[in-house]
Amino acid sequence: MTAEAQQMIQHIVQLIRKPGVTLDENTPLVSSGLIDSMSLIDLLLKLEDLTHMRIPAGKVQPKDLDTVAKMFATAQRVGKPRK
Amino acid sequence: MLRYRNLLEALAAAPANRPFVTAWVDEDEQQTLTFAEFRLRARQQANILRDHRVAAGDRVVIIMPQRIPAMTTFVGAMMLGAVPTFLAYPNFKIEPAKYRSGLAGVTANLKARVVVIDQEFPDDMLGHVSLGAETKLIRIGVGTPAQGDTEILTPKIEPDSLAFIQHSAGTTGLQKGVALTHAAGLRQLEHLSRALKIDGKTDRIYSWLPLYHDMGLIACFMLPMVCHIPLVMQSPMDWVMHPRTMLQIISEHKCTLAWMPNFAFQFLPRRTPPSRWAQYDLSSVRALINCSEPVRANSMLEFENAFAAAGLKSAALHSSYAMAENVFAVTQSSIDGSHGPARLCADGVQFRGAHRIVPAVEGTPGAMAFTSSGRLLPHHEIRILSDAGTILGESCVGEILVKSDCLFDGYYNRPDLTAQALVAGWYRTGDLGFCRDGELYVVGRKKDLLIIGGENIYPQDIEEIVEGHSAIHDGRVIAMGVYNPDLGTEDIVVVAEVERDELLTGAAEIERELRSLVVAGMGVAIRSIFLKPPKWIVKSTAGKPARSATREKLFQEHPELGVDS
Repeated sequence: MTAEAQQMIQHIVQLIRKPGVTLDENTPLVSSGLIDSMSLIDLLLKLEDLTHMRIPAGKVQPKDLDTVAKMFATAQRVGKPRK
Repeated sequence: MLRYRNLLEALAAAPANRPFVTAWVDEDEQQTLTFAEFRLRARQQANILRDHRVAAGDRVVIIMPQRIPAMTTFVGAMMLGAVPTFLAYPNFKIEPAKYRSGLAGVTANLKARVVVIDQEFPDDMLGHVSLGAETKLIRIGVGTPAQGDTEILTPKIEPDSLAFIQHSAGTTGLQKGVALTHAAGLRQLEHLSRALKIDGKTDRIYSWLPLYHDMGLIACFMLPMVCHIPLVMQSPMDWVMHPRTMLQIISEHKCTLAWMPNFAFQFLPRRTPPSRWAQYDLSSVRALINCSEPVRANSMLEFENAFAAAGLKSAALHSSYAMAENVFAVTQSSIDGSHGPARLCADGVQFRGAHRIVPAVEGTPGAMAFTSSGRLLPHHEIRILSDAGTILGESCVGEILVKSDCLFDGYYNRPDLTAQALVAGWYRTGDLGFCRDGELYVVGRKKDLLIIGGENIYPQDIEEIVEGHSAIHDGRVIAMGVYNPDLGTEDIVVVAEVERDELLTGAAEIERELRSLVVAGMGVAIRSIFLKPPKWIVKSTAGKPARSATREKLFQEHPELGVDS
């Protein structure tokens, strides 16, 4: 796992505030109800910071953010390098 | 506008080389079409639709990302005499099951000839949408426009032909299709452009508003199309992610007009670091119009105070009262003045108890501030109705009824809903408000109103007091009425998020302070206050607290509140 993915996992753990929950790159987040839809904006902004990319939100669907691994794959697919 | 027989004639009359739509994605990706280019693209889309046997009168549902092809498809459908409608494109925040069922409901009611989606439309969102035997799903590429140009033999479109269907606000599945004619659209745009003193040579609109909403469709697509003025548009999702791009676009393109709902007047300054406020140039803006939610004086003030440093003129902040059923605007604040919409201070006790407006000096304890939504457009009338159905006079609060020369004839395929909403030519808005000195003030939704021991309590007023407390997160408060069977009336229940988890250890003290603040401000007592950790309240798109979903969540966690009715 990359350091960025690790940081994202830490960020999500803080966000969901559920003691005892452990996450890895492939834990379903949206489909399992662990995170709500509003937190997704926060996650996308964090993803932009971690990848130094600009991610066009209109091209992102719920399934693209369901796991940390998918988030980084989505950033690679639709993200643009930030100036 | 009234010189045109239909909306397409108005588009045809636009100067060929004048820029029409600029779709702004980011600093490096923007696309502008002139009016001539837009007309060509629309004809190309019309050809595609005709190949799929779309003909006059057919409904065409468009579910595409908010870019130029969605708009050219819409106009292309109109060129065939068909009746287009936009539905929301799925985004990363939606609940897939809910989206699918909403889509199924709306498309079934419309009995559309085609549903147009883009190449990237996620298959899992289509799910089991039953399109019916008569409906065809077609995918149109967003990136590569169709080639070639064929003249479209536009059928004769009479002023009273249906032009398009716009959906009223509401949960997707429960949205009602408002069917509107070309004549109604043109009359509305005539009134609105006069009220706004639109100047074809100098005006330029900025928008992040969704095209499936009346503000996005009418004010920020049909108005520039018919008045021949440029529009710079971005997608609502891009704006929500980076709200300050709005300030950047207005600065760069020197936009003069924009609309947005009340919450955005707070959202923007709060999501833009104060150190950046002065970096923008908003001096070109002559009207930024607060519309589609009750106008709150404090939100307008917060925006004004933040962006005065960016050259924003205080007289540029305006208000309007609008609804899909009337095509769009019913009122608009006067653009002439050296100040924004009228403000009024009134006695809170009289307002809640007697439902009357008795002016009070600003700053008097218990006095409340109201911001006007402006004056009626020409050929518009309103009535204020009491619960008993009597017509109320000036300064009395009741339900707003609207009559105009651009009012809808009915909800598409829903005579039952039409009969409830249209009574003897008057549209029952479900909004509460009052008139004074020729100005309309909208104070809330009838269904959100809490009636506590005969007093009308507006949840927004309680929420404003509670979020003023330093321990409470701004904008994360919901006040609701919960029926108390012992008293036979509703009690006020408040749920609020604290700024930080640690604050919950002092919950008892915060609760005590909140109770006395509300009693002091409004003279009513709260039955229960539920303080919750950050991010507890359920949010809607763009971060507004979702009233009914939060209520449901609270009742689930606290069964002691009783059975929710």
